Amino acid sequence: MKAYYKITPEGTKDYLFEEASAINEVACITTSVYRSKGYHEVKTPGLEFFDEFNLKSSAIAQERMFKLTDNKGRLMVIRPDSTLPIARVVATRLQNKPMPIRLFYNQSVFRSNPSLTGRKNEVRQTGIELLGAVGKRADLEVIITAIEALQKIVPDFRIELGHAGLFRSLAKKLDCSDEIKESIRDSIQSKNYSQLNSILDTLPQSDTVEAIRKLPRLFGGEEVLTQAAPLFEGTEGESDLAYLSEIYHALSKLMMGDKLIMDLGFVQRNDYYSDFIFSAYVEGSGDAVLTGGRYDKLLDEFDAPMPAAGFALNADALADIMLSSGKSFEEKPADIIVHADEGFEMDAISQCRFYTLSGFKCENSVFTSRDEVIRYAKENGVKQVCFMSGKPETIDIENMGEQI
Amino acid sequence: MKPLRIALTKGRLEKDTVALLEQIGYDCSAVRNKGRRLILPIGSGEIEVVLAKAADVITYVEHGVCDLGVVGKDTILENGTSFYELLDLGFGKCRFAVAGKAGYDFYDGYKAKTIATKYPNVARTHFENKAMDIRFIKIEGSVELAPLLGLADAIVDIVETGSTLKENGLEVYEEVVPISARLIANNASLKLRKKEIEELVDKMEKYITRTE
Repeated sequence: MKAYYKITPEGTKDYLFEEASAINEVACITTSVYRSKGYHEVKTPGLEFFDEFNLKSSAIAQERMFKLTDNKGRLMVIRPDSTLPIARVVATRLQNKPMPIRLFYNQSVFRSNPSLTGRKNEVRQTGIELLGAVGKRADLEVIITAIEALQKIVPDFRIELGHAGLFRSLAKKLDCSDEIKESIRDSIQSKNYSQLNSILDTLPQSDTVEAIRKLPRLFGGEEVLTQAAPLFEGTEGESDLAYLSEIYHALSKLMMGDKLIMDLGFVQRNDYYSDFIFSAYVEGSGDAVLTGGRYDKLLDEFDAPMPAAGFALNADALADIMLSSGKSFEEKPADIIVHADEGFEMDAISQCRFYTLSGFKCENSVFTSRDEVIRYAKENGVKQVCFMSGKPETIDIENMGEQI
Repeated sequence: MKPLRIALTKGRLEKDTVALLEQIGYDCSAVRNKGRRLILPIGSGEIEVVLAKAADVITYVEHGVCDLGVVGKDTILENGTSFYELLDLGFGKCRFAVAGKAGYDFYDGYKAKTIATKYPNVARTHFENKAMDIRFIKIEGSVELAPLLGLADAIVDIVETGSTLKENGLEVYEEVVPISARLIANNASLKLRKKEIEELVDKMEKYITRTE
């Protein structure tokens, strides 16, 4: 039998040195932003019951989850999402806590992608959830937290705003089966104009059909609101559009015009997001690096109805962008190595402690001979070696010439 | 400013797209005299053309290393996942169809049927929607052979004029879906480079509707 003991599974990898540092850096930066705004950290299990991720309003396609069974034969999954576990925590252990509850997380999610597409099956995410709060103040807090976190990581990005209620209000007035509505939603989502048109052509023509036809093209700045206004007049979507406009104008005070875009055809797939939604794009990543929004219905599923909003940021993608933008995470070599001659091992340990306490980066030599430690220092760019044989004796490697 | 990068499916779609780009005012002489080069500037350098195999066009666009792509709907149906499909370019027209030996009633009887195809995903989706239990066999080329040699009851394949089928004594049982070339865009590119992409799409669209 072939043993796979020297490779990692497809879609995963080992993160070495600067790759690991860059991911830590993203985590550090975002954590300090979240903490400064009063968010509290939670960590949820890596392994949970399948049922939790198979709820009506949350359904993650089952073929995308890594599954296993526990010793009672119950179906388990490796965490495919962080928002659902947090909703569970809030509905159970935090049910008596006064609202609002501000939480953040920093953990991997696992989703299976088709083979050989080069996509990652393990993605490190960081994000916040603001639970038990509704309205403009809460939505602005969530999105501004996202913007502040991104600003500290990448110099340039676009924020896209949308509202799930817009399509919903039009779809409700549409006289056709849910199945057709679903394929309409799908073609809007993928901006598949020709497919959308051919579906709409089969329906009796009406103002609603015309409005849906225009929906995927309605993305951009201020002008989108003017173009969209007549389409939603007198529908439930009118108030959603007004709300989106309010958020847009509030945020445009923070961000230069073209960095902020609205996409009225922004309809998320199989998602718990029910109202205001947003995502962020950065040059160098082919996908959104951040997605978020309001999910007021999700907590119903855990029998603890409450409004909630949040976002998840792809820490892997941002770390990659940090690295490729030339930010250096290379670690400096040690400043000094302390080598103990036979019998002086404990002296070397305390000499090491002396150096590290003085702020130097100091390695302890594990070699038996002086020659070996000098060779090691040369190979690794360490400038000084300190020999312990009674009194400390320090040698400058650079000035040694070719003595050895 | 980085040029807008557009991946074209090598071969006929490439030629039709180049003709379209020339019609809307881009100088494509570099592509016409490409030699063996695979990345070529067009116009005054604001667009870069990348030549790739059909399925790879989708891969490059999905990963965002190309902003746009021109690819057949057949490839999208077989391989597509996450990108924007902006425009039906109107050329490269054909259709997916179920075909087999002339005179045979494929849908008759209770026996589970066998389908040979180069497009297993398209075939599977089609028969799943009809709730038909089918055994699929993937064939790499000249799928028409499979029913003739008795390996399969029928095939799912691209049919253009139907003359290959006819010459081999086969006929179309059922049309699955019409096909034509599509302009696709990477999700992030459309947001990050909205203005450039929209301008190009508008020009293409105007030209296509004018000639239709």
